[in-house]
Amino acid sequence: MKHPLTNNYKLLLYYVLFWGVISAINIILQVFWYNVPLTYSLLDTGTNYVLYPLMGSSIWYSIRYNSLEEVTVGRLLLFHFIAASILCAIWVYISFAIFKPFITEDNSFLENGLPSKIFAGYLMYAIYLVFFYAVNYYQSLKEKIKKEVEYKTLLREAELQALKSQINPHFLFNSLNSISSLTVSNPEKAQEMVINLSTFMRYSLMHNEKEMVPFSRELENIKLYLSIEKVRFGKKLNAEFEIDSKCLEAEIPNMILQPLFENAIKYGVYETTEQVTINTSCVCEGNLLKIAIVNDYDADTIKRKGEGIGLRNIRQRMQIIYNQPDLIKITDHKTKFEVQLIIPQKQAVS
Amino acid sequence: MSEKLQTLIIEDEELARNLLRSYLKDQPDIEIIGECENGFDGVKAINEKKPDLVFLDIQMPKITGFEMIELLDHIPQIIFTTAYDQYALKAFELNAVDYLLKPFSKERMQKAIEKVVHHIQHNENNIEKLEELTNFRPGEEHIDRVVVKDRHKIHIITVDKIRYIESLDDYVMIYTHDGRHMKQKTMKYFETYLDPKNFIRIHRSFIVQVDNIAEIQQYEKESYVVILKDKDKTKLKVSKTGYKKIKEVLHF
Repeated sequence: MKHPLTNNYKLLLYYVLFWGVISAINIILQVFWYNVPLTYSLLDTGTNYVLYPLMGSSIWYSIRYNSLEEVTVGRLLLFHFIAASILCAIWVYISFAIFKPFITEDNSFLENGLPSKIFAGYLMYAIYLVFFYAVNYYQSLKEKIKKEVEYKTLLREAELQALKSQINPHFLFNSLNSISSLTVSNPEKAQEMVINLSTFMRYSLMHNEKEMVPFSRELENIKLYLSIEKVRFGKKLNAEFEIDSKCLEAEIPNMILQPLFENAIKYGVYETTEQVTINTSCVCEGNLLKIAIVNDYDADTIKRKGEGIGLRNIRQRMQIIYNQPDLIKITDHKTKFEVQLIIPQKQAVS
Repeated sequence: MSEKLQTLIIEDEELARNLLRSYLKDQPDIEIIGECENGFDGVKAINEKKPDLVFLDIQMPKITGFEMIELLDHIPQIIFTTAYDQYALKAFELNAVDYLLKPFSKERMQKAIEKVVHHIQHNENNIEKLEELTNFRPGEEHIDRVVVKDRHKIHIITVDKIRYIESLDDYVMIYTHDGRHMKQKTMKYFETYLDPKNFIRIHRSFIVQVDNIAEIQQYEKESYVVILKDKDKTKLKVSKTGYKKIKEVLHF
């Protein structure tokens, strides 16, 4: 850490001003109240309130390299006693040297004043010590807080990155297989699917860059995803949307919906031979965007084992982004499975 | 080879079936005798039509390709197809049963067929390998359902419906709330794959669902029986080690 006075010009200015004011008051008092000759007053003020502050600023180094936490109290006291003694000796010596040429007659008052001068030197040292320890403490605290904020942001970013959904390889390879089949039977449709798949992949890769997207964008991506899955599952997959158009402008974390639809397909469509409807509805209430995804499922074939990793990740991601619990609600209606997401908005959606 | 391989396709996705059919169309050794869209139909078709070769998708509605094998009376040669299932792949690596990763090329499929032809010509049996596959469940620590078949129907029993399991030589009898089902599996299998928090092997012959225990009675010195929560108050013997396990799970 640098010296606070040279590092911070504002502090240096205050320091100079402070001692300047003290000096001025001292001179005025001595000259006008005690009738001290101006020369003496100037000399006294110069040695006490200019020389000492100049030398005292070096006390910083004595505390800088003797941190309170690392050194024992005994050693610390000894160190500062020695430092104070050296500083005092130098200060008194220089003060006397400055005074001497101006003293023509009796110089006994200098000798008489010596003990109090030495005492003042030690006292000032102690005051400086407290002052610099306080400055030091304040600076390291500030630095620590700054670093902590930095770490927290880094950590948050890392956590969010980890929680973002990855494209399920199962989905990818099955889609590629569908495309492989379509190239034989329906090349045009194959091409369409390649394009849809690419658009979807591009969107999901983009989410590394941007955290929030308009709901309309996320919805578009979901429709794309479902259209790809519809090529695979045909009639078995039926998607319904009931979207309040005023919600489309709302903001939503990107790729937060896709894992929910992936789940709906995995537990709904994949596990049954009948048609499965995935119903998506959304409403805006004040500052909240509420999205509900409901899918049919066959309760006889699967025993839902509570929250899978997909849902858990979304829950955590929402928790980190919004710092609020319970933004995701899961309800098992026995033949239907419902997930409700509540997305807080910065302002009410109108 | 004089006769064509009677081949069945079991695959839930239409496009995947189409592709396989178009690949197989001009294969001299293959005659497609049927296609099934799910595991239920698949089991029925295999047992009735007794094909030589089956292309079997692993992930399908109702029951998986692996679960299907447990229900077969007739075991054909099987070429598995899967898109991506790391656990299944692991099983295949250990097992050397052939499998195709979707999307696969026609050439890759032909190789698999050649292998099958080779197996048939050398009379190599794959039954043991397939049975081993059905026991293979890495990734999922515990099973959550059991598939069984009686004369008429395939039943999927989710494990929460199992009251207790009794050993009967090579078979086990699974008692549920609405009946009982026989299955060719070992007690060891169920002891390993049922969640030990919910199921306790209380005796050489019994595994009991913990929630189903009404009380434990001492009927002789150092010997106990559990009484189940059902109308008949079924009593099951408890062995010494079984008693210890019950104590551990129920904390008394």
